[in-house]
Amino acid sequence: MSLGASGISIRFGGIVALNNVAVSVSPGEIVGLVGPNGAGKTTLFNCLTGVAQPQQGVVQLEGHDISRLRLEHRIRLGISRTFQTPRLDLTGSVADAVMLGFNPRLKQGILEACLPFSKARATEVDLRARAEKLIAEFQLTNDPDLPAGELSLGHLRLLEVARALASEPRYLLLDEPAAGIDDVDRDLLAQAIRGAAARGLGVLLVEHNVGFVADLSHRMVALVSGEVVAQGAPSTVVSDPQVVAAYLGVQRVAA
Amino acid sequence: MKAAKLWTAPAVVLAVFLLVMLLGLVRPSLHTTMFTIGLYALIAVPLGLIYGQGGTISIAQGSFAALGAYTSAILTTRYGVPPALSVIPAILLPAIVAFVIARPILRLPELSLALVTLSLGTVIAVGLQRGGDFTGSYVGLSGAPPLPLVGKDPVLVAIALWSVLLLVVILYSHFVHSARGRALNAVRVDRLLAEAMGVNVPLYLATLFAIAAGVAGLAGWFYVHFIGYIAPDSLSVETSAHILFMVVLGGRRSVLGPILGAAFFTFANDFLPGAETHGLFFGTILVLILLASPDGILSPQALRAIRRFFARTIPAGGGAPVVIPEAKKVAQ
Repeated sequence: MSLGASGISIRFGGIVALNNVAVSVSPGEIVGLVGPNGAGKTTLFNCLTGVAQPQQGVVQLEGHDISRLRLEHRIRLGISRTFQTPRLDLTGSVADAVMLGFNPRLKQGILEACLPFSKARATEVDLRARAEKLIAEFQLTNDPDLPAGELSLGHLRLLEVARALASEPRYLLLDEPAAGIDDVDRDLLAQAIRGAAARGLGVLLVEHNVGFVADLSHRMVALVSGEVVAQGAPSTVVSDPQVVAAYLGVQRVAA
Repeated sequence: MKAAKLWTAPAVVLAVFLLVMLLGLVRPSLHTTMFTIGLYALIAVPLGLIYGQGGTISIAQGSFAALGAYTSAILTTRYGVPPALSVIPAILLPAIVAFVIARPILRLPELSLALVTLSLGTVIAVGLQRGGDFTGSYVGLSGAPPLPLVGKDPVLVAIALWSVLLLVVILYSHFVHSARGRALNAVRVDRLLAEAMGVNVPLYLATLFAIAAGVAGLAGWFYVHFIGYIAPDSLSVETSAHILFMVVLGGRRSVLGPILGAAFFTFANDFLPGAETHGLFFGTILVLILLASPDGILSPQALRAIRRFFARTIPAGGGAPVVIPEAKKVAQ
């Protein structure tokens, strides 16, 4: 019972982005994936979610090989993700942005969507109410009809998390959700992530900010130059010499 | 408030139609004008759907209308099929053609897609010109029987055409405010986002592209059975370009935008002297409007301003007007 990748290798031209990498996350578990810029965190993420295809390796969900499934199928199987740069219609309303998150769980025909007085109208009212609940929970705005472009970057990141949760995923993959957000929003984010894990979701967290991840994760995986250099309890990983070296640079012993 | 959102556009269409038809009692030529506007609008509104909502440009809508018109003309004049039946293939044939070509071309970036759909229109036009006796070649086909029930009466035909347009507007308005509508919006903003939200983008776009072509085919059916005649020049590549002009000028993001564009185009065509200078006029207008508002006249910003204006003058729930606190602030 887990979402995992093993033996993942991917090259872009001559550059090895990932070399024989394995990572897994179980329900209820928060796994932090850390590493410096260019370590391959987002690429690994893309392999798990189906945005990128690894040249070698297998992605498994609950024991089933999902390596060949496209992004839109994986989300319907319960693998939900956010993006490093928030992707959404900035001219649309906050409510609409969150309501989009319900789509993977909906089966709505085009005709049903067009017809007045159809089931789609009741669905709309229901989704709107659920979206407003999420908007309140994440304290995004008091006005759900506000254009999303008027939110701060921190709130946009929270909005993406809210939208990802709307699809009722089993696994939540967050790509740098805490980058560039203030302390208040970060606390809300941490609370949401802990809450999701407590409800049994597996959370995989890609982060640059080691402190934030170490605080939150049950387990950490450190990637440096496309390889796993350390993994285990956050305290062990954070103090691992290779991880420290990657983040702070190697200190030469003075001659 | 929710209902208002869904029914505003249909109500506006109905009200304007009834008003102009009443004016037509004084000036009967307005009835034919309304036919022309309705016809263009019926081709333009579905383009607004796939381009304005879905970000998928097409300069083939006029050609799909021609395909529908020719299909019906050939079936009715050569094989004696009644127009009431030929309407089905007139819708289906353009839709099927569109669906088949959509898969390979809809992944192209906007500019390439514009060129590819433009060439598709040219291919259809050449096919119709070189079709020999079957398509009537350069001369076209005449003698298409009148429309079922409404015949050739301009008032009845206008009512029938606008009823169909009204239905399309109702369906479109509801679609925009549905999960499917949001999915299409996501495709426009960012295809990767749409996929991450579970949308099978190629299939979805191909389906909507086919629906748009089918509605254009229906417009072509109205055209050929009202005018009674169709030639390669009647609904041509030029028509497709005009349709795109209407959508972009009127506001591609709004349901009513393409209809406003169609009305503007038709009236301008009627009142402007010298057909050869029309291009100059339309080009200038388009540039000026797009400089002021890149999303056309009925842009999301403009619509929001209109909504805010009405919310202010007619406060919802009979509350105090929003203007008062501002006035107080000034007094202090």
